[in-house]
Amino acid sequence: MKALPALATGLTLLVAATGCQKEEITTYRVAKEPVPASPSPAATPAAAPAPAPATSGTTGASMANTPVATASGNALVWTAPPGWTAKAAGSMRKGSYAVKGDGGEADMAITAFPGDVGGDLANLNRWRGQIGLPAVGQAEFDRETQHLDRNGLHMTVVDIVGTGTTAQRILGAMVPHQGATWFFKLSGPDALVAREKKAFLALLDTIKPAAPAK
Amino acid sequence: MNDLTRQFRDFFVSLKLTVVLLVLSLVLVFVATLDQVNLGIWAVQEKYFRSFFVLWDVKGIPVPVFPGGYLVGGFLLVNLIAAHVYRFSLTWRKAGIQMTHAGLILLLLGELFTGLLQEDFSMRLEQGVPRSYSESFRDNELVVIDTTDPKSDEVVAIPESLLRSGASLQHPRLPFRLLVKDYYANSALQMKSGAAAGAPQATQGIGITVTAAPQPLTYKQDERNIPAAWIEVAGEAGPIGTWLVTTIAGTPNSAPIMRAPQAFQHAGRNYVIGMRFKRSYKPFTLTLQKFSHDKYSGTEIPKNFSSRIRLETPAGKEDREVLVYMNNPLRYDGFTFYQASFEPGNDKVTVLQVVRNPSWLIPYIACSVMTLGLIWQFWIHLSGFIAKRARQPQAA
Repeated sequence: MKALPALATGLTLLVAATGCQKEEITTYRVAKEPVPASPSPAATPAAAPAPAPATSGTTGASMANTPVATASGNALVWTAPPGWTAKAAGSMRKGSYAVKGDGGEADMAITAFPGDVGGDLANLNRWRGQIGLPAVGQAEFDRETQHLDRNGLHMTVVDIVGTGTTAQRILGAMVPHQGATWFFKLSGPDALVAREKKAFLALLDTIKPAAPAK
Repeated sequence: MNDLTRQFRDFFVSLKLTVVLLVLSLVLVFVATLDQVNLGIWAVQEKYFRSFFVLWDVKGIPVPVFPGGYLVGGFLLVNLIAAHVYRFSLTWRKAGIQMTHAGLILLLLGELFTGLLQEDFSMRLEQGVPRSYSESFRDNELVVIDTTDPKSDEVVAIPESLLRSGASLQHPRLPFRLLVKDYYANSALQMKSGAAAGAPQATQGIGITVTAAPQPLTYKQDERNIPAAWIEVAGEAGPIGTWLVTTIAGTPNSAPIMRAPQAFQHAGRNYVIGMRFKRSYKPFTLTLQKFSHDKYSGTEIPKNFSSRIRLETPAGKEDREVLVYMNNPLRYDGFTFYQASFEPGNDKVTVLQVVRNPSWLIPYIACSVMTLGLIWQFWIHLSGFIAKRARQPQAA
């Protein structure tokens, strides 16, 4: 049985070698990369659903200038701020982003529905209900909303905060366009959403009708 | 043989050890399966099976709590081989058992080699753009590229594992030093105006307008960590600048500003610095000719994905078109290219999974050897039984 100790030593060395895979700096020369013939997805001006992160290691996309098709054919496009991570839009959303921060994660949802979806007051009260606030009347609505005009679009902007220690905040914009209403809603922990207000308003500045599809 | 050697031998050839190791591997597989809910399959494999010990994090200190796959598998291998050698006797009667055990040993070794040698990369092809590299699903690298030559680039690729806050990196090909001022293994980008004070400062490139905040590591299968680092480039005369580098530019929907190369000049040469998914260059190029995404008519349910791809080698040895679709991968030069994914809304892009596993044949050989061994073993018993029956006098 002289072979046994030698065998055991050999195997121990083999097993130990598996723990010693140190990565090293490598150098190589490669031909210059050709410039893509087709525009990158971020700049593709065709009507397309909002980008969903591919499942193969390409997740984490953000800042897409995302063109969106609606049922009526015309869409809005926008540019998300850097640092917002695009999420799968799903069947209901035109665009979806995760906004991460120290206090958790906020969700940016972009949706569009035909008509006025019950009117701006009803929509505000729906959002108020989502963060535990009572419904308000028209007078309160006028006080709580701001109005912006950007790129030929009229936007009704609201900023509402819930109550309690874990208060939620909603920053929302309602944008009527071509017989539909588009909703841009950033919701999440109060502090995080407040911090991102500037970025949200910057996004509103970039919203414009998409170029007609060829 | 002295006492110590005998004890050593008795320990390694004992059947008790086999049973203990099998029980340990049962427990390991059970716990790892449950932990997949938290970690996902890749991280579970790394934590439980491709490690010597399962580590628990106790207040920042990793404490070994259970033998890992390499330890249990390694001992099992030693146990099997030792018992095999110890009890070996060359007879036809035992050949079946020996073959079965040899197959098992081969199977264990095959898994070890797969763990060590398998490469699993992804290749994103845009229509009409030749590409000769694939990108890692998980690993990243810091690259400094000398772009001075009009025809080719000289790349210095530094694995992410060498990036640590405060690390100083030097390489003979680089006429300057790289100082890692800060490094986050996973991060989210944000506008600098909204960022907390105290974050590292970049003096050049995208880092002037955006910054990165640390994020917890993700282990989910459909997410990847986005590392970020602040790299100071310092020449002999002092710092040239500090850049924020992150892999977010490699994601297909990143903004044009994030895709622009971060370039600088030093000693009359042009350089680009960046962080990207680890690349593996191949001695051939693939070009997407057409990606087809068929759906069942009237629905959004996918029916078939296929990519028509042109395969070329620089010497002109190969220049042909291949069709890659579900269950019909392209096998070339030791690599297998599977149709893996696509980008919704963009039919000019396809994503292939690129796998290289030099030991892929081992499990097949191991199973064949085990099957033959078992057939032989059963046949020996069966023939013995038949012969015995034939010898017995027929009952009246």
